[in-house]
Amino acid sequence: MLIENMRMAFSAIRANKMRSFLTMLGIIIGIGSVISIVSIGDTMRSMFEELYRKIGITQAYIAIGYWVDEWRESDYFSLDEMERIKEIFGDEIAYIDSDASTSGDAVCARTTVRFSYTGVDYNYQEVQPVNMVYGRFLNQGDVLGRRKNVVMDTVSAMNLFGVENAVGESFRATIYGSVDDYTVVGVYRKDLNPFQAMMLGANTEGGEAFVPYTLLTWPNDRFYDIRIFARDEATMDVFFDNLKSYVARSKGRQPEDFRLVTAKAQMGEMDSIMGGLATAVGSIAAISLLVGGIGIMNIMLVSVTERTREIGIRKSLGARTKDIMVQFLTESAILSACGGLLGVLLGGGIVMMGGRMLGVQAIVKPGVVLLAVGFSAMVGIFFGMYPASKAAKKDPIEALRYE
Amino acid sequence: MGFWNRGRTEDLGGGWPQRKVEARENGAGKLWDMWRKSLKKALKFPEYITENVSEELIRLEDLVKVYDTGALKVLGLKRINLTIHRGEFVAIMGQSGSGKSTLMNILGCLDRPSMGHYYLDGVDVAAMNPDELSLIRNRKIGFVFQSFNLISRTSALKNVELPMTYAKRNKRFREQRARVLLERVGLGKRAEHMPNELSGGQRQRVAIARALANEPPLLLADEPTGNLDTAASVEIMELFSQLHKEGTTVVVVTHEEEIAAFTERIIRFRDGEIVSDKPNVPREPEPCGGEGFGASEEGEAIGDTDSDRQKALGDRLC
Ligand SMILES: Nc1ncnc2c1ncn2[C@@H]1O[C@H](COP(=O)(O)OP(=O)(O)OP(=O)(O)O)[C@@H](O)[C@H]1O
Ligand SMILES: [Mg+2]
Repeated sequence: MLIENMRMAFSAIRANKMRSFLTMLGIIIGIGSVISIVSIGDTMRSMFEELYRKIGITQAYIAIGYWVDEWRESDYFSLDEMERIKEIFGDEIAYIDSDASTSGDAVCARTTVRFSYTGVDYNYQEVQPVNMVYGRFLNQGDVLGRRKNVVMDTVSAMNLFGVENAVGESFRATIYGSVDDYTVVGVYRKDLNPFQAMMLGANTEGGEAFVPYTLLTWPNDRFYDIRIFARDEATMDVFFDNLKSYVARSKGRQPEDFRLVTAKAQMGEMDSIMGGLATAVGSIAAISLLVGGIGIMNIMLVSVTERTREIGIRKSLGARTKDIMVQFLTESAILSACGGLLGVLLGGGIVMMGGRMLGVQAIVKPGVVLLAVGFSAMVGIFFGMYPASKAAKKDPIEALRYE
Repeated sequence: MGFWNRGRTEDLGGGWPQRKVEARENGAGKLWDMWRKSLKKALKFPEYITENVSEELIRLEDLVKVYDTGALKVLGLKRINLTIHRGEFVAIMGQSGSGKSTLMNILGCLDRPSMGHYYLDGVDVAAMNPDELSLIRNRKIGFVFQSFNLISRTSALKNVELPMTYAKRNKRFREQRARVLLERVGLGKRAEHMPNELSGGQRQRVAIARALANEPPLLLADEPTGNLDTAASVEIMELFSQLHKEGTTVVVVTHEEEIAAFTERIIRFRDGEIVSDKPNVPREPEPCGGEGFGASEEGEAIGDTDSDRQKALGDRLC
């Protein structure tokens, strides 16, 4: 019976192709916009997730809060303190450094390139993928011996030396005002997609290099923040809390005086922005679905009137109120679901195309597609209720007499 | 209701191909049978559908139909008393506007009487609600209309299947039986055709096949040949005669004496009343002269007074 009803519904829709299509338009646009928004949201989320994974999801910075009125000398960190934190938290820390960075001109022969330097520890590679292509990464000897060795990316090497494989090359760099010769010990390749390049700031002109952090932070230096990677993503929240308490205590402050910025929290912020966007566009989509539903109700009312005689015939053959009701409900549900399906194709298509243009893999989740089609069928049933009950209540003899 | 029918699907009806249900010997089989029987009992149709209780198929008692068209009331039927027995072949004749269709619509449970009683198989249908009437129409009545009333854009086969669909028959059964019925009315090869691809006579035969789908005891036809030429009319009436011989009760409304001549009883109406009710000897045994068919008692009532047509009909019959 259901299959029979569906067959009849499709033949009725096919009999009035143009009309059916125009009726579906509201649903198509409504569902299309829902699908594109949800898919854009999903795509953005996954892009940011990947981005943060690249940055390191367990990464955090701790520093004195900007809301604290008077900063003391002791609110800053020293290398000794960092060593103590390393000792106390031991295994829970995957990586720790002084988050030092600076920039200055690098000169090789007649080429001068503006370089930015990041001070890292030898085990930086354990927490951040560095895709070495030539030479090696900085080692413990470099860090402890404060050797003037650097690791740079292929683009920087190209800019400064005109070759990618710059291992063994040396250049003159100005760091914190002192000019010294530095040697390239390794070259890595950055693999960023266009979105990540945009967010992380791709460099095409200047240069970037890793240097031992001991070159940038000296034993008596005081520095603003510590960069830490937790060992375990699952327990990192507790670890960071403990860390904050410890740091505050050791500096005679309250834990809430210190600011702990985690990549994870930033990601959560991103999510809530996306969520706000989704509700805004979602309500627009809801309105267009409402309008689409009313369109369906309208056309079903027309259809019921047009087919009054058919209803009379069916009743004369033994169709009960329920049978007619179900027949017309099936029709409006299918009409609306077809609109939903077209909307999914439209919205999904636009997102996919946009994604391809931006060089991003767009995500259209099958669950969302099913939900959208199901929901549009529900819209069809809801707005088909009135026309269907009108059809079902028709008196057989009146309906048969209808011209 | 659907379950009940599922238990019934092995029975394709008298004279139709039978699907045998093998007796099961083992315990599980017995349990299955018991379950089926109890289900059958629990989900049974009301008795007015399942029991052929009455030898009097139709009994009308003081039946009145008033059409209330706001300003004035039209008396469609005035106190009709009529009994039609199981297996009769009846013609209803009368002037245009004499109330024939009004009566047929009531007999067919499409319309309700304003007053009086209509007993179908001993059950007063005047008191039934719309869905009960639907069930009655589905099970007990086959209705053939002057304007065929096939559902457009739906194949002959699907049209014939329709009453069985509403009777919740399964697809296999429906299709099988619909094909048998179409074969029977001589349209076996036209099963897949749409109504607009069929001639008037063929459409009417599809409509008859459809009316027979659920083996109703009562077949009602309101001017079934009104839109057909002579040859087609004769074919239709011969089909009715045959059905009548097989035991179906047939009531036909017609304007044409030649059509009425096929029947065994002719009831004449005037102004909503029965003016005569006489047995008729069906035409087959008595050969007839051409003029016998030329004049109709209510000549002006006949829409189509084409003399060629009358002659052709006479020729055909003799
Ligand atoms: N729906 C209606 N509303 C008002 N009056 C009606 C209605 N249907 C029929 N009538 C009236 O009832 C009377 C009987 O009509 P009916 O249709 O039964 O005649 P009929 O014998 O079938 O005529 P015909 O041979 O032309 O078909 C007529 O006077 C008609 O005007
Ligand atoms: Mg009539």
